[in-house]
Amino acid sequence: MKKKILVIEDNEQNLYLIKYILEDCGYEIFSAMDGKKGIEKAASLLPDLILLDIQLPVMDGYAVAQALRQIPVLQKTPIVAVTSYAMPGDKEKAIESGCSGYIEKPIDPDAFASQVEAYLRIKDNNGGGDEKGCTNCR
Amino acid sequence: MHTNRPERRQSRTKEKLETENRGSQEGEIKTKKKRGNGEVERRRMRMKKRASATCPHARMPTYSLTFLAIVYIVFTIAVSLSNAGERVVRVGVYDNAPKIFVSESGKPEGIFIDIIEYIAAHERWKLSYIHGTWGEGLARLERGEIDLMPDVAYTAERDKRYSFNKVPVLSSWFQVYSRQGSGIRSLLDMRWKRIAVLEGSIQQEAFIRMAESFGLHITIVAVPEYDKVFETVSRGEADAAVANHFYGALHARKFGLEDTAVVFNPSALYYASRKGVNDQLLNVIDNNLSGLKKDTHSMYYKSLNRWTSEEVEFELPTWMRTLGIIIGLALIMSIIGAILLKHQVNMRTRELREANQRMEERIIERTAELAAAMEKAQAADKLKSAFLATMSHELRTPLNSIIGFTGIILRERVGPLNDEQKKQLNMVRSSSQHLLALINDVLDISKIEAGQLQLAYEDVDVRQVIEKVVQTTRPLAENKGIGLDFRIIDGDMGIKADYRRLEQILLNLAGNAIKFTEKGSVNIICESDGPNLNVRVVDTGIGIKEEDMETIFKTFRQIDSGISRRQEGTGLGLSISKRLVKLMGGSIRVTSVFGSGSTFSFSIPKERKTG
Repeated sequence: MKKKILVIEDNEQNLYLIKYILEDCGYEIFSAMDGKKGIEKAASLLPDLILLDIQLPVMDGYAVAQALRQIPVLQKTPIVAVTSYAMPGDKEKAIESGCSGYIEKPIDPDAFASQVEAYLRIKDNNGGGDEKGCTNCR
Repeated sequence: MHTNRPERRQSRTKEKLETENRGSQEGEIKTKKKRGNGEVERRRMRMKKRASATCPHARMPTYSLTFLAIVYIVFTIAVSLSNAGERVVRVGVYDNAPKIFVSESGKPEGIFIDIIEYIAAHERWKLSYIHGTWGEGLARLERGEIDLMPDVAYTAERDKRYSFNKVPVLSSWFQVYSRQGSGIRSLLDMRWKRIAVLEGSIQQEAFIRMAESFGLHITIVAVPEYDKVFETVSRGEADAAVANHFYGALHARKFGLEDTAVVFNPSALYYASRKGVNDQLLNVIDNNLSGLKKDTHSMYYKSLNRWTSEEVEFELPTWMRTLGIIIGLALIMSIIGAILLKHQVNMRTRELREANQRMEERIIERTAELAAAMEKAQAADKLKSAFLATMSHELRTPLNSIIGFTGIILRERVGPLNDEQKKQLNMVRSSSQHLLALINDVLDISKIEAGQLQLAYEDVDVRQVIEKVVQTTRPLAENKGIGLDFRIIDGDMGIKADYRRLEQILLNLAGNAIKFTEKGSVNIICESDGPNLNVRVVDTGIGIKEEDMETIFKTFRQIDSGISRRQEGTGLGLSISKRLVKLMGGSIRVTSVFGSGSTFSFSIPKERKTG
């Protein structure tokens, strides 16, 4: 059975890029263009992994992560922040908001698939996210 | 004709004015008269009231007028009686200060004058002074030209010619005063000497008697006036002088004379009158004198004090007087100064208080301004942070897809590419990566300058960092055919540092070294030096010219490599490295020989520096 990945990303090109790379790897990709739709889809789809852009319109990634963690069925789902390393404390803020890890933009097309695979494996092993994922995204 | 008219008109107006003035004057007089009448009437009313108050009968004004007439008569008699009692007393004056003398202003003064004037005031005498020599005074007394002669010593012989009052006015004695250095100290020293005395005086008689009793031959120089006695000695016409001690004490020093031990004939001094005449006058003097002498606070003692204490003042040396004046002046000036000073102090205090108030107001104002500025700055800072975050995101988002899709296409996942397509897509990838590096570096610089770059300290194994950097940069070195190696001198490389930032510095330095080295090698040497970690990146590259050494750490500086192709890089690497090292509490420097290589070395503390 194909792993389900939900991508919450407002930029069409980036969404397409991620989708292209990951579908090529054999994952089933779902997408949402803003935080609110993302939360709704996550709650209904119960994906294996959520890739979350932080700079989103209206509701930013941190708020989305917090909201996602409020949904009991999603408490152990890895949420990976995909964003530019902008200001000091961004990374910490993402973790505090409930993200399991962090992948820096711009993504490396060669490394991206393996990074995603690593987070999925963490989910399989531990039944939830932990901070080990961070070492992959320095 | 034309010119006359206005004149006439003027004169007419003058006349008019004058008549008006007269009119107004008359008016005034009239009103005055009116006022006057009113006052008289008012007075009359008052008198009537009074009369009716004291007397129950209406006819009383007649009685009061009679009473007033009687009072007037009694008063007139009293005045005429008192005028009759104000007798004129003629007093002889001669010069024998301070007992009696005429002052420079021509006024008789001295102890005898004070006393007689006091008595005269008391007894309503009118004093008339007649000035002359001692002899003239006595002669006038005998002739009845004066009523009183003061300062007369009693002798049996004089008693035949004059009457004396009974209470002695002063006690006196005679003393010999000699010229300083004359050697006269006692009576016997006066043998063969010339002695000046007042002609016809008691002291003349007494002195001659005393000298004769000692069998001394003494030449007597008789001087008609007391004033001239001392002068005679000072002029050298006599060797010593006889004078009463009052006079001597007052005048000796002035004439350069000093008192001797020769003291004789203590006597009592009186007021004298013509024998048998004016005994009543002398009695009155005695009555007053005995009263004066009983009371130690009376004018008698005040006068004595005044004239004898003045002696002392008179003897004050000039320098002392000058000093006194100076001190007095100084005192007055200091008092004035103190007042002025106090005034000034008050003024300054007021000024200071005002200045203080102004200052406080300004401080409050400035604080408010600063607070506003601070708020503005903080707002600006927030804006800057927001801007940086936004830029970071906005620039990287499109780059994300450029780099991502280029990578996918180059991997030929979409389909096969010919060589030209591959070559051009590689250029796109290279350019976009360079753009990404630029964005990252600019953001770093901005963050450091905004004070928003915070170091994340953790336990770091420096060996591991260096190995990773070497591993990352090795392909670049291998491409150029140059060696890349590292050496760790001290084995203990565990420090507290920001891993990512330390790696960034090392990547910058190693990348730079490889970039500017065409042959030879790049070496990273690391050693632990006490509390510091020293790292050197040594290359055998093109080196840096002397004039470029200063600017090499500045932003957007890339030195002229001397090679036709401009080196890749943002020109920010060294600048960021320098700032990062500084942020870590260390320092970075470069040594270089142009044409043969450079050494970039930095030193950072192994432990995080607090504060």
